[in-house]
Amino acid sequence: MRKLYIGRILYNIGKFALRVIVLSVLVFTISRLAPGDPLYAYYGERVEKMSVAQQEQARERLGLRKPLFTQYARWLQGAFHGDFGISYQYKTDVKEVIAARIGNTLILGGLGFLLIFVLALLLGLFCAWREDRAADRIICRIGTVTSCVPEFWLALLLLLVFAVWLDWLPGSGAYSIGKEGDVADRAVHLVLPLTVVVLGHLWYYAFQVRNRLLEEVRADYVLLARMKGLSGKQVLYRHCLRGALPSYLSMMAVALPHILGGTYVVETVFSYPGIGTLAYESARYQDYNLLMVVSLLTGTMVIFCNMLAGIISGRIDPRMRIHSLTGGGEVRGC
Amino acid sequence: MTKDPLYMDLAHCNEAPGKEFLFGTDTMGRDIFSMIRYGGRISLTIGFLATLLSTILAVLAGSVSGCAPARIDGVLMGLTELFLSVPGLLLTVFLQAVFGGSDAYSLSVVIGLTGWMSMAKVVRAEVLQLKHTDYVLAAKCLGGGFFHVLFRHLAPNFFPSVLFMAVMNVRNAIVAESTLSFMGLGLPMEEVSWGSMLSLSESALLSHSWWIILIPGAFLVATLLCLTNLGNYMRGRANKRHSNLGCQGSLNIKKK
Repeated sequence: MRKLYIGRILYNIGKFALRVIVLSVLVFTISRLAPGDPLYAYYGERVEKMSVAQQEQARERLGLRKPLFTQYARWLQGAFHGDFGISYQYKTDVKEVIAARIGNTLILGGLGFLLIFVLALLLGLFCAWREDRAADRIICRIGTVTSCVPEFWLALLLLLVFAVWLDWLPGSGAYSIGKEGDVADRAVHLVLPLTVVVLGHLWYYAFQVRNRLLEEVRADYVLLARMKGLSGKQVLYRHCLRGALPSYLSMMAVALPHILGGTYVVETVFSYPGIGTLAYESARYQDYNLLMVVSLLTGTMVIFCNMLAGIISGRIDPRMRIHSLTGGGEVRGC
Repeated sequence: MTKDPLYMDLAHCNEAPGKEFLFGTDTMGRDIFSMIRYGGRISLTIGFLATLLSTILAVLAGSVSGCAPARIDGVLMGLTELFLSVPGLLLTVFLQAVFGGSDAYSLSVVIGLTGWMSMAKVVRAEVLQLKHTDYVLAAKCLGGGFFHVLFRHLAPNFFPSVLFMAVMNVRNAIVAESTLSFMGLGLPMEEVSWGSMLSLSESALLSHSWWIILIPGAFLVATLLCLTNLGNYMRGRANKRHSNLGCQGSLNIKKK
């Protein structure tokens, strides 16, 4: 039994590594095949003033003239030694460029995720408890409307109202100039972007919780529990919630990279210095080395969280595991 | 009332809503009312075209992978997941570069090609449940080919959930179009759509011209809301039909 367990862990690690490698090949090829000139990222507009010979020389120097495979092998070799090359645009080590910004994204996305995680569960529970009563209907209405508002427009709206008209909150950046360490200042800058991140996703997940619970509420065991004298609320918390939790956890595991990595629109509108804007710039201006690392960061997280979702639902709900052992393949979310 | 949506009336730049310009003019002097009228066509066209493409792809990929033996199914789903893990932004920029200039059609192809994965997963899940039913087995024994079984037996069963997802995909495609155009990756400013109108909003923020941001956005949100309601209506019908079977008992409890 123990042997089987270790085998499974090794199998999962192998699967994970394989996927990450394939992903890196894919991103590498895609970014190289896309037309566009990485020299622009490096030299900016000056490229146009360079002679053809100079351009060729620059390409040679950056290692862009070698065959694709050689370039990839070289990159991989460096990557295993922790050397991811330099960013063409920022002219420094890619790791430094990312290290300077990743904290901001993690704060924004991480806080957003936590808020969504808690609020979606509470809202879903509340709505399921008050199914089809006034409160549920009103929340559903409002929720549907918020889920229809595109993130970027919500961000613009908040900017217009709270930063331009009322002038209550700052509209751009992660901190005021010269106040980098000031927590309160950072918190104030975080309010608007965080609101957009949370409102943009909240209802989708809350609605899923609600629907899942409504299915659960219609099961026979609820009838039994009620007959034994438990109140509706007790049944909902002790039994239905438990039934809905595995699918909620695996759903949120899939949601984690989605929310963390999906902040680029918000970051762009609020000029918030994070990974999202970096990804956008690097994809647009062919900053290959930077693009590779940013894509791998988000991609790895997606792969990891998807596998985590499978493992979580297998842990909590053994039925899923049996299903996957009997040849059902991947675990399906509900 | 309506004017040429492309005509830049330089004498009336940035004018607030009034009698002549019902919704005002944008920073380049174009009449927002007529831009919304004509731009809606492009936004909706992109929404429907992209959905058509992604739905076809999703149904094919999902049902092939659902019907295939477990090993091939695993590989196919692995590929789908891989597609999901490549950053969407990179994929969009790449596809756009491949399809050349950005007009409404190439943009819908790009959005369609990046939006089929989650729907394929749903189709696969449905097919997996359906493929072991007796009538599918019977159809196969009688010599029905893959496409026969797909269209006559599988598709009618997963149609409701695909329909719901397709409506939601129209919504997502419109959101994607407007977001991409807003970020400067989608339609250029000369091609009027609700999204490309909003790409002027950065400068509108500076000049406090709220109408450039609020009015096209309100139209966008209203359209999306309609689509969502349509989708929910379809799903609601499907749900009720299912739950009639064995859950009346607990419904009574809730009412008490």
